[in-house]
Amino acid sequence: MSILLETKNLELAYGAFHAVNGVNLKVAAGTIHTIIGPNGAGKTSLFHCLTGERQATAGAIHFDGQPLMRKPAHARVGLGMARSFQLTSLFQNLSVRENLRLAAQGRDGARALNFWRRVESKREHLEMADQVLERLQLTARAATLAGELSHGQQRVLEVGMSICSKPKLLMLDEPTSGMGIDDIPIMTQLISDLGRDHTVLLIEHNMSIVMSISQRITVMSHGQILVEGTPEFVRADERVRTAYLGEAA
Amino acid sequence: MSEKNPLPFAKTQSKAMLLWVLAVLIGLPLVLPSATLASEILIFAMAALACNLLLGYTGLLSFGQGIFFGAGAYCAALLMIHLQLGLFSALLGAAVAGGFLALLVGALAIRRTGIYFVMLTLAFSQMAYFVAYTLSDWTGGDNGLLSVPRPEIRIGDSVLLSLADARAFYGFVAVLFLLIFIGARRVIASPFGSTLMAIRENETRASAIGYDTRHFKILVFVLSGAVTGIAGALYAMLLHFVPLSNIDLAMSENILIMTIVGGTGSLFGSLLGAGSIVLLGDFLSDLWPRWLMLLGVILILVVIFMRGGLWGGLASLFEKVRGRRKAVVVAKEQGL
Amino acid sequence: MLNLYLFQILNGLGLGMIYFLIAVGLTIIFGLLNFVNFAHGAFFLLGAYICYTAVSLTGSFWLALLLAPLVVAALAWVIERLLIQRIYHLPHMFQILVTLGIALIIQEASVMIWGPVGKSVAVPELLRGVLVLGDFVYPYYRLFLIVFSGLVGLGLWLLLERTRFGALVRAGSESTETVSLLGTNIFRLFSMTFALGVGLAGMAGVLFAPLRGAQPFVGPEILGIAFVVVVIGGMGSFSGALVGGLLVGVVQSLMTTLWPQGASLMIYGAMAVVILVRPYGLFGRA
Repeated sequence: MSILLETKNLELAYGAFHAVNGVNLKVAAGTIHTIIGPNGAGKTSLFHCLTGERQATAGAIHFDGQPLMRKPAHARVGLGMARSFQLTSLFQNLSVRENLRLAAQGRDGARALNFWRRVESKREHLEMADQVLERLQLTARAATLAGELSHGQQRVLEVGMSICSKPKLLMLDEPTSGMGIDDIPIMTQLISDLGRDHTVLLIEHNMSIVMSISQRITVMSHGQILVEGTPEFVRADERVRTAYLGEAA
Repeated sequence: MSEKNPLPFAKTQSKAMLLWVLAVLIGLPLVLPSATLASEILIFAMAALACNLLLGYTGLLSFGQGIFFGAGAYCAALLMIHLQLGLFSALLGAAVAGGFLALLVGALAIRRTGIYFVMLTLAFSQMAYFVAYTLSDWTGGDNGLLSVPRPEIRIGDSVLLSLADARAFYGFVAVLFLLIFIGARRVIASPFGSTLMAIRENETRASAIGYDTRHFKILVFVLSGAVTGIAGALYAMLLHFVPLSNIDLAMSENILIMTIVGGTGSLFGSLLGAGSIVLLGDFLSDLWPRWLMLLGVILILVVIFMRGGLWGGLASLFEKVRGRRKAVVVAKEQGL
Repeated sequence: MLNLYLFQILNGLGLGMIYFLIAVGLTIIFGLLNFVNFAHGAFFLLGAYICYTAVSLTGSFWLALLLAPLVVAALAWVIERLLIQRIYHLPHMFQILVTLGIALIIQEASVMIWGPVGKSVAVPELLRGVLVLGDFVYPYYRLFLIVFSGLVGLGLWLLLERTRFGALVRAGSESTETVSLLGTNIFRLFSMTFALGVGLAGMAGVLFAPLRGAQPFVGPEILGIAFVVVVIGGMGSFSGALVGGLLVGVVQSLMTTLWPQGASLMIYGAMAVVILVRPYGLFGRA
């Protein structure tokens, strides 16, 4: 299996505090790979380093064979990375379709600076938006403003925007966060569906989802990788239980 | 900052809007007592429209518009006085000057956001004023730059149309305004324009889906600066004079106020805003020299109660009337 | 020659202390209420004019120095209750626009009341003349500016750092809920803070009047300087306002002999550089 994303001794330090402390992560192409861990384990910090939201302070990131450390967030999209946000982050006052179209257009990078052609002249972005609408089962709401969708639908759109740029790697930051119990199965379904065409790197709290859809799980604790393996392997590991119980106590 | 983007959201424009603009352009000189006043309205409408690209479409509050306006005015005037350049070359020069300064101001100012962005545009605006004041050999300093010509439209050596007559000049300004308006509509409907709105809505997300938002902000600054420079040049030709006040902070504030009072949700709003404020000033300045006080009141009322500005107000009124008419039609159809 | 520069520097300190008072008011309002007040220069102007009226009615500068800031603060209180309170929650952009409107109204109202030509205010009798130390002279009024503003600054610092009011205001700037839980009316606290900050601008206007009189269109210039000082010192920083104010005052004073417009270019240039290089100012916290 080929490795799509690899980090080597990745570090993110705030002064003396290491939020990420020497992480060696390998994400194999074509898998759904989930990162779990108690609060403060460094999952989100690691995620930020990978998306470019934060500059890692040491180590290396390789994506699809290319070094990635110093690339800003927007430049990583062109290479084939895409992400969703833990707190819904949409273009609230734009239609659902426009949200998706913009996400598709984003892959154009600097070519989107064209200020003389009409939006409609780029058919492929509209087509992509319509395809994703179908996949998200939001076609009926295409013209609705994103801010007027139900919370569950907003979460679905949040994840959906990240596939519009045809990425090789989808990075999803707690996609079920804040979702009602009724909506969670839809999201689970969606993620495992997306996992058929994309490599997915997932941060998730909801253990039943994690165990049911992940092929590989990395458990983090104190900024480091504690355990890594298949769901069965991780479930059985004593250290993982301690880490979680430690948090509860 | 708990409220999300409370400015009315600027959208692409409908076809009918162009008819409205045409109607205003034709109607203005017929209704108004002087064509000069009508020209002044359109000149400030251009400046407000350019400001709206920044404020309404990208969400950038710039106190730097006076720099571009003044630079356009000075540049065109100097080109015409010292190099005897013709009408179009002078306007082109003004657009380049406005656009170039906007590139400098924009590229620096967008390195910060929020209040610091505003402060940077404010600082550059003040610096431009003092530079213009200091270079009095060129700008005339406090006395202003005098005897600015208003060249005729020429093709080669033959004069096509003299613009000395106020109505002829109005015609020229109106044609330019129409072209700029159409151009701005195109820009808004382009991939670039749609990305501006995305940046305005949520810059973090915009860069997460692949846009280098800095480039978009700089480009919109340049476009806005170029149009504002053209407006400044036309104003210099209208007055035959470039007062120092063209480049001071108050000019930036005036352009901003026109934009906001007209409504940031629409390009047409900028025409409404410039029109109503220029007219209000013209009407009141003789009767009540302190009419700016009223402008202060209007600004406060618009921001607090009518954030859509005049355009927003009219649009919702229009919708209500149409809604009622529809209700009447439906009632009739149902035999009530 | 050297003495001339020394004299200008000391002169600049007097001016700088006035700038400190203006800027500290602005910085309190920004730091504690997270509110951007573009009407600050206009309130300064109002202070100067009320000083003029009070001096011409009563003949006493001292009474003016007591009354004018109170009147300005009272007006600010009313405006805060009627208007400002509605816009605390809005983005800075809207605060700027509304206070810009207020500034226009105050400026034009001042011209209506006091006329378009500036009014001059005499230096109070007690402070006329100069202090002579060897071959060095220094006007008493400037000396008074330094001492008086210094005392006001000290009092303000004690108020903010050592009293219950100050503690509440500081807590309120962190979290309005905490203060509400303490049983304090947060809105009254905000009104008082706003009035205090604006009152300081009014007081600066009074102190400024004997130097340059009350000028109707000085508001924007003063606002600009206040922002320069606040930005250089760091938004919300008390000591930053002091150092920034003195710095700007001294630079301006030195440049008046060399190149007056250059002073404005320099200070606005400095402001731009500080924002770009050190956005939290020389004394601000990141």
